[in-house]
Amino acid sequence: MTTKYRQLNRRQFIQALSASALGVTGLAAFPGFAQAQGRKNALLIGLDIGDSITFDPARLAQYSSPMTVHNAYDTLVTMNPGDYINLKPNLATSWAYRPDGKAIRFTLLKGAKFASGNPVTAEDVKWSLERVINLKDQPAQYIAHVDKVEIVSPDTVDIVMKDPTQPLLTILAAPSFSIMDSKLLMAQGGTAALDAKEADKATTWLNGNSGGSAAWNFTAWERNQQIQLARNPNFRGEKPGFERIVIRHMSESAAQLLALKRGDIDIAFNLIPEQIATLKGDPQIDIIGTPSLDFIYMAVAANAEANPALAKKQNRHAIGCAIDYDGIINSLIGGSAVRPVSFLPVGVNGSTAELTKQIGFQQDLAKAKKLLAEAGNPDGFAFDLTYSNNAIAGVSYQNLAQKLQGDLARVGIKVNLNPIDQVNLRTLFTQGKLQAVLTFWNPPAVENQLWASATVNRVAKRVHWVPPEAMMKIVNDASAERDLAKAAVLWRKYQEGMVDAANLFVLIQPTYQIAVRKSVAGFKPTAAGWMAELGVTKPV
Amino acid sequence: MLRYLTNRVVTAFVMVLLATLVIFLIANTAPGDPALAQLGDLAASNPEYVKAFRAKWGLDLPLWERYWIFLKGVAHGDFGISIMSQRPVLDDIRDFAPATIELATIAFLLSILIGIPLGILAAVKRDSWIDHVARFVSLIGVSAPTFWLAFIMLAVFYGWLEIAPGPGRVDPIALLPPKVTGMLLIDCILAGDWETLRDAAAHLVLPATVLAAATLGLITRTTRASMLESLSQDYVRVARAKGLPEWRIVLGHALRNALIPVVTLGGLAYANLLTGAVMTETVFSWPGLGRYTFRSAVAVDFPAIMAITFIVAVVYIAINFLVDMSYAFLDPRAVKR
Repeated sequence: MTTKYRQLNRRQFIQALSASALGVTGLAAFPGFAQAQGRKNALLIGLDIGDSITFDPARLAQYSSPMTVHNAYDTLVTMNPGDYINLKPNLATSWAYRPDGKAIRFTLLKGAKFASGNPVTAEDVKWSLERVINLKDQPAQYIAHVDKVEIVSPDTVDIVMKDPTQPLLTILAAPSFSIMDSKLLMAQGGTAALDAKEADKATTWLNGNSGGSAAWNFTAWERNQQIQLARNPNFRGEKPGFERIVIRHMSESAAQLLALKRGDIDIAFNLIPEQIATLKGDPQIDIIGTPSLDFIYMAVAANAEANPALAKKQNRHAIGCAIDYDGIINSLIGGSAVRPVSFLPVGVNGSTAELTKQIGFQQDLAKAKKLLAEAGNPDGFAFDLTYSNNAIAGVSYQNLAQKLQGDLARVGIKVNLNPIDQVNLRTLFTQGKLQAVLTFWNPPAVENQLWASATVNRVAKRVHWVPPEAMMKIVNDASAERDLAKAAVLWRKYQEGMVDAANLFVLIQPTYQIAVRKSVAGFKPTAAGWMAELGVTKPV
Repeated sequence: MLRYLTNRVVTAFVMVLLATLVIFLIANTAPGDPALAQLGDLAASNPEYVKAFRAKWGLDLPLWERYWIFLKGVAHGDFGISIMSQRPVLDDIRDFAPATIELATIAFLLSILIGIPLGILAAVKRDSWIDHVARFVSLIGVSAPTFWLAFIMLAVFYGWLEIAPGPGRVDPIALLPPKVTGMLLIDCILAGDWETLRDAAAHLVLPATVLAAATLGLITRTTRASMLESLSQDYVRVARAKGLPEWRIVLGHALRNALIPVVTLGGLAYANLLTGAVMTETVFSWPGLGRYTFRSAVAVDFPAIMAITFIVAVVYIAINFLVDMSYAFLDPRAVKR
């Protein structure tokens, strides 16, 4: 290498670099917003979709993906936003328990078609539900009591149950139990046979397409980037007002806020309470609140080895009487939340905010002190409260833990704060190794039994509670009761029992606040587990 | 030269192995059960599901066996299946890496093309206004937290002035060009889609600037210091005495010798940009590797963590190797010594 050659080389290098630099800056100087045209025909949604793993209904177990699945597929029955007690017909027009009580008979809607044009038949119902069962992925657990699906006639099916006392109808409303186009799916490698767990190959296809009959057709998914839906031309109902939906992945709420204000998205799902507050009074944006069925709760273990004071019931009741429930909701989430009595969220059968005032814990410091004295701990005691470093619905566990620490200190109970990571927390809590935990619950389907059986079975183990026989019976009877009013009475008894046990203190059931630009009408959020009904949205 | 090369290659290989071993041990001693991170509450409490999950992901095997399986897989170019995304880790990386490479490369070019000239000018015109500007730029770049800077940039240029596009790689409505490299700029050029190219380039400006900030600061500072040292050397005085024009002294004599520390730093900085874009990617909703790495770590997704570690180690070592090789070009004495 000679000096000359090297110099030339370097000069060329620098020239090349400068040229490319000019290119980049030149391009950047003309930010092109040429797509304004397409924008009017598309509904643009900002949402954190980082948790999405699959859009195969039979494998759903995440938080953000059900919205897409629900809006692309129909279920037999469904729920209207706001009413989580009475079921609404969907692909089934009517249903009733068979006289022998072992099965539910569904009469199917006539004339319904899939997006492919294939008619929706009893065969598709059988195929779809049996595929869920035989894939043996997580949703299969919720219909483990289903024995088989029998075709009675082309528009009648019986779902036969091994244990008919277990609830089924409400669970069938969840997106996992979507009715799929079996002909189309089989052509894509799908199978509902007994060996589906190994033999089914349709999941990959379902991660970028859908075979449903709802208003939208799921057309694309780019991981951590976006989800696209297009109008289903064969939809039996009213056509959606938009041609397509683009769900943009936006993991930062501040970025969502900016994009919403600029009009780059029409709907922002993940704004925190402070950001919502800044939007109030904005002439272009509506805030739509929807009470969720999710909640943040504190679990306190009655494990004498880990903490003898917490093993005494009076001490746990003292905790329940010392918490400033209203203060938590007002200061940490700006008042946009409610509080249920116990593990049944407000809005489901037998749980109202009114009932919490009657039978739930209320702050009463004198009573708390009295209880402590009765338990033999007049000067209070100490316990460790474990929580993760993240935030739910804009409420950081850290702030909530500090608030609880302050509240309990007023009656002499000392809370040692113990922040750890989420996975570690779940591991330790599931193994029953923690004294007290702050964590979150969101239901896989709107069914009281799913909440209640958790509290008397697996969650009971985590908090070292042995539920009395009577309590188990109440949960079983309430779940089996088919008369809603009678069931509500039983669910009230269940909640009284949970308050008495004083292991679980439900603190915040947030009202999710979704910001929607006024250019969009008819947006209907729901708490039923799929976030929103997108078929009825229209441009203004 | 050949011995120098083989030496480097062998060292590099051993380093990669060591890096994966260390990460493997750390990831496995970290508390937290991947089964519980992935399964829903009901499934996580169902021993049958948990057992099936462990068997599926090989979590029930002894540690050494799992490491052996990992090594065997890597030898065959197979990094296994990500627990979190439930598909081959390589597919994930193929999806997410191009976005990061594109962003990091633009950021790197920005920091070099601004940083080096600024550093040279600052050194030549020491204590003038331009020197103060350079010092200010490097101070801000090095000390402003990325997270903060990203939000300020978004709020000012996107939210307030409305001259920059928002988060994401392209406008939500844009139709993407067919995927060839995954790097949008290149794919757009290949497809001849100039409109999307402009859109993608515009979307790159803010995140690339934010990402470049810290590196730019370091490069400016190092170039300045190194140039100052070179300019005070005897050969510069000789060159001046010979009556050479000042620009030739600066660019031809001083710069060449001042570049060695800058190249070392630049190489490491590039590796850093490729692997350390988590914050920028988060704020700008950039579907890149940084975000993927972060999520994998949180979810204790062993196969993904191991694959990324391996790749990061390879990237660092490869860049280091290239830097070493460039010494031979910049300073032949480095090889002879």
